[in-house]
Amino acid sequence: MQPPEIDLTKLDAIIERHKSEKWGLIPLLQDVQDTFGYVPPETIEPIAASLNLFPSQVQGVITFYAGFTLTPKGKYVLKVCRGTACHVKGSRSLIRLMQKELNLNEGETSSDYQFTFETVACLGACFLAPAMLVNQTYFGKLAPNKVSSILDQYKKSRGAKDK
Amino acid sequence: MDKLASIGQLEWLRNKILAQSGDRKTIVHVCMTGCRAYGAASIREAIEEEVKNQGLAKEVEVRSTGCHGMCAKAPVIAIEPMGVQYQEVNPEDAIDIVGLTLKKNQLIDRLAFEDPAAHQPIFYLNQIPFYKKQEKRVLARCGRIDPTQIEHYLSAGGYQALAKALANLSPDDVIEEVTSAGLRGRGGAGFPTGVKWKFTRAVAGRPKYIVCNADEGDPGAFMDRAVLEGDPHAVLEGMLIGAYAIGAEQGFIYVREEYPIAIEHLTIALEQTRELGLLGENILGTGFNFDISMKKGAGAFVCGEETALMASIEGRRGMPRARPPFPAQAGIDQKPTNINNVETWANIALIINNGADWYGQLGTDGSRGTKIFSLAGKVNNTGLVEVPIGTTIKEVVFDIGGGIPMGRPFKAVQMGGPSGGCVPKEYLNMPIDYDTLQRIGAIMGSGGMVVMDENNCMVEIARFFLSFTQSESCGKCAPCRLGTTQLLEILTRLTQGSGRLEDLETIKELGNTITEASLCGLGQTCAKPALSTLTYFKREYEDHILEHRCAGATCDTMVISACQHACPAGIDVPNYVAAIAEGKYEQCVEIIRERNPFPAVCGRICIHPCEYKCRRGELDAPVAIRGLKRFASEWYFQNIGSQRDPFPVTKKEKVAVVGAGPAGLTCAYFLAKKGYQSTVFEAQPYGGGMLGIAVPEFRLPRQVIEDEIAYIKNCGVEIFYNSPVDANHTVNDLLKEGYNAVFIAPGAQTSMRTGIMGEDENPEGLYYGLPFLTDVRTGKAIQLKGKVIVIGGGNVALDAARTALRVGAADVQIFYRRTREEMPAWEKDIEEALEEGIVLNLHWTPRQIINTGGKITGMEFVGSQTAYDDEGRARVGVDESRVQTVDADAVIISIGQAPDATFLSKDSQIERSLWGSLEVDQNTLATNIPGIFSGGDFITGPSTVIQAIASGRRAAIAIDKYLQGDIGRIEITDEKSEMPSAAGLALEDEEAKDQPRIKLELEKPEDRIRDFREVEKGYEKFEEAHREARRCLRCDLEKERS
Repeated sequence: MQPPEIDLTKLDAIIERHKSEKWGLIPLLQDVQDTFGYVPPETIEPIAASLNLFPSQVQGVITFYAGFTLTPKGKYVLKVCRGTACHVKGSRSLIRLMQKELNLNEGETSSDYQFTFETVACLGACFLAPAMLVNQTYFGKLAPNKVSSILDQYKKSRGAKDK
Repeated sequence: MDKLASIGQLEWLRNKILAQSGDRKTIVHVCMTGCRAYGAASIREAIEEEVKNQGLAKEVEVRSTGCHGMCAKAPVIAIEPMGVQYQEVNPEDAIDIVGLTLKKNQLIDRLAFEDPAAHQPIFYLNQIPFYKKQEKRVLARCGRIDPTQIEHYLSAGGYQALAKALANLSPDDVIEEVTSAGLRGRGGAGFPTGVKWKFTRAVAGRPKYIVCNADEGDPGAFMDRAVLEGDPHAVLEGMLIGAYAIGAEQGFIYVREEYPIAIEHLTIALEQTRELGLLGENILGTGFNFDISMKKGAGAFVCGEETALMASIEGRRGMPRARPPFPAQAGIDQKPTNINNVETWANIALIINNGADWYGQLGTDGSRGTKIFSLAGKVNNTGLVEVPIGTTIKEVVFDIGGGIPMGRPFKAVQMGGPSGGCVPKEYLNMPIDYDTLQRIGAIMGSGGMVVMDENNCMVEIARFFLSFTQSESCGKCAPCRLGTTQLLEILTRLTQGSGRLEDLETIKELGNTITEASLCGLGQTCAKPALSTLTYFKREYEDHILEHRCAGATCDTMVISACQHACPAGIDVPNYVAAIAEGKYEQCVEIIRERNPFPAVCGRICIHPCEYKCRRGELDAPVAIRGLKRFASEWYFQNIGSQRDPFPVTKKEKVAVVGAGPAGLTCAYFLAKKGYQSTVFEAQPYGGGMLGIAVPEFRLPRQVIEDEIAYIKNCGVEIFYNSPVDANHTVNDLLKEGYNAVFIAPGAQTSMRTGIMGEDENPEGLYYGLPFLTDVRTGKAIQLKGKVIVIGGGNVALDAARTALRVGAADVQIFYRRTREEMPAWEKDIEEALEEGIVLNLHWTPRQIINTGGKITGMEFVGSQTAYDDEGRARVGVDESRVQTVDADAVIISIGQAPDATFLSKDSQIERSLWGSLEVDQNTLATNIPGIFSGGDFITGPSTVIQAIASGRRAAIAIDKYLQGDIGRIEITDEKSEMPSAAGLALEDEEAKDQPRIKLELEKPEDRIRDFREVEKGYEKFEEAHREARRCLRCDLEKERS
């Protein structure tokens, strides 16, 4: 399937917002990531030009930080926490369960761009261990059946409005 | 609100706010930060709705606040000034909360914290154990104010410290105050904050920068998150004061993007402070200029390191650089920069407001003040905790944290995240501060405390941390980039069962090299988890490598199901449980017999390590594996009996076994199964070892032992009673008689003596636990009367106490030196003993047995107390101020048994061990003489029956191998039974998922002490056993299916 369409004209507004900011590359990229869901490779040169940097420098920053991705993500980004507290409470088997149910490995996006499955080092929600984030919503004290029903919920709302 | 042009205007505004806020009498604090994940927003809405509907809008304020700390019971609300906390609140509860509590002062039981011991509700915050030992200084306002309203901060006294600093203190005064307060960096390194400020102030160069490191990346840490979300102004005020002291004009808060609520609240706080003119130019008219920008992290743990953080602020790749120059000399943009952690900044206003002396009233000499910890993992009260530095780990984990769920034993606590080490239970009483933990290879760190229990594997924990640091390593310096990868590879191999003994040395060498040679803190500390777990849990590492055993039963390649792995004999538990569910009781017993020829005995008295690891136990209660085993074996002996055809003898070799206890008989059984002729020599007139002479009839009826031994005999095992092996019939003689191998398993049956006054006089009425039990068991007429004292806390002591009650004692009191938790006896037996009226006296050391005319008339005890040294290690000493003299008619000393090898005096060529037993190879149980093996309690000291059985089987495998000419290592790994069942049980059955564990009934205490009837009753109906069996989650099938 094709990745979702993006409106690259929005890039100009983003660049406007940040180009006079001191050391504004990372905030700019964060804005791009938030707007498009990823950093489209074709935006690297215009961004570099606007900040008077080499494209390789911009590329270097994008690839260094886990928060930026050069490929589009799914509509629902599931981040399962693999931090210490969650690990100690059994996040590993949940991760395996989700891999099976979504048929995705870590870091992969489904071919219909509905789901991206990731693991995160720590969400800081340790008291909810084991925890996961679906876009901006937290789910805690997960158990296998809870995970399954959460996934079913999101699978059913395909085509429905974004949460 | 208008910009404040002077301090006077600030105070005017504060007065106005205070006056306006006094209107409402009651405030309902609803945590809207962490608890949001649990629906706190709908709860707040519901309460607001109800307050309006019930006409209380004028008297009640419903306030959104930050974290209250008790995250384990989210969603949490507090009601002031009543001082009440309600937890696990639902929107539906709003009606009652408003209608009953707010309107009528009636408290709601179901929403209150439940005292775990008394099962009573505790409503008041100052009585809830979780809060009692805390000292909330930094977190004082968190959970009490709305962090998105600066008015709340002001009315709580906010920005007073800033005003005081600007008006009355010079920048040097401020630095002086912070320095003498002794505040140390709360990010983990603990560098004295005032000193760092001084350095930055002293360097020439403009502009100067100050930074707040809010990139809390340690997995398991959420202290900074709570402060940023719940009281962001505390951080801002600290930064303002710091900027004033150092002479900085620009500040940055670098906050990780994974904290959206923190970012939201910081953004609002910055806007509001700017609006009031507390940030910007000419703050409060004093000519002081300072503003703060927020920079969001982009998902790199290494950016928590200060030089990487600064690079990230400058929009570059977050790679650290060498220091010197330190940020104070050349930081952001090569200008003098001061970086401090969120919690450090949050302490500043407190110091300026209350003074250095006040600050130093809490904490230790070297580490003043309080510290916030995030308590997580296997602990009941997970959440946020603030305690004076110097509080012990035990107090935090047990008194505040409420201990480990399910009452499981504490194994270790990880402190300081991936830069920290694991602290084992020996150091539980260690006070927490910057310096103490370093001595044992751990650090206090930023405050993350993750608790682990016996179901966690320490090797896997080390691997886990390495996988984190390896993926977060920036890659700049070779030691870290290559070292973390190699360490991870080694640890991964270890968890997958492909480890080698050399790996342990490699881990140490590699770890030390990475530590010494890495460029930044990430590399310099990444080896700590591996090195500290290797130091304190070396046995676990070795077991992974040599025995493919994982103590936590988590490493997949070695573990099919946790229960089977936990069983020392490796019995295929899921399959025999499934057999019971299918009504195939004979098959069940046959499956057990693949590894254990004593199913009926174990069904009564096994300590069931399997149940402690049962994954069902994580949901509600473990499957009653032992009870099910008893059920099936009882059916077997009632319906099939002990008859069977003997195993065919297919080998020409003969093996002799010394001792017809569980170890010896198991060895003989498995050898017979392999086709050998095995013969057991037993000194006593009856078999069973400790089972026969020590375990009382009311726990294990004699008939059960007889049935099992009869079965083993019918398998073809020869047993000679009244046939001791000793100086007259030595092991050597056995070899000369034609036995090709000998297994020595006489048990550990020599009673230990106390050595106290009066013992040597051998007065009438003095007994020792094991002989006492043996005499009763073998029918010798022992009549006790009156008061009986039992000294000791193990299984034999408990059995002796309960037996004493049944042979005439009017009253029995047990005296034990240490705590109840330290008593080795099985908890179930202790509870049953207490039910029977036995008194348990703890912390008493025996001092003297008082004899009058050759008969015992009493005993003197002196109080014992446990003292802790600097590192928290316990030493039991005496407390002379407590002395007790009691009357007694009999004393039973039961302080332990030891093996005794004197019967082998003529076989002196067999190598002895230091403690009176024999020296054997741990893997093959072979002694130094080829063909002679030894195991069971004789080698290990008093242990459990299942350990002895496992030892017997191990010996049989090793002897078999030896007789075929192979003296190499043997491998005993978990294997599935030859009679598997595919029944999914609870994995497939929805109803079974909700079925609670069926309790086994006990005979009433007042009835059962009258005789020796069996105390525990089995399942009354088949259906009960079936239902219990169907609770099993078939963890073994999960593996096969995936």
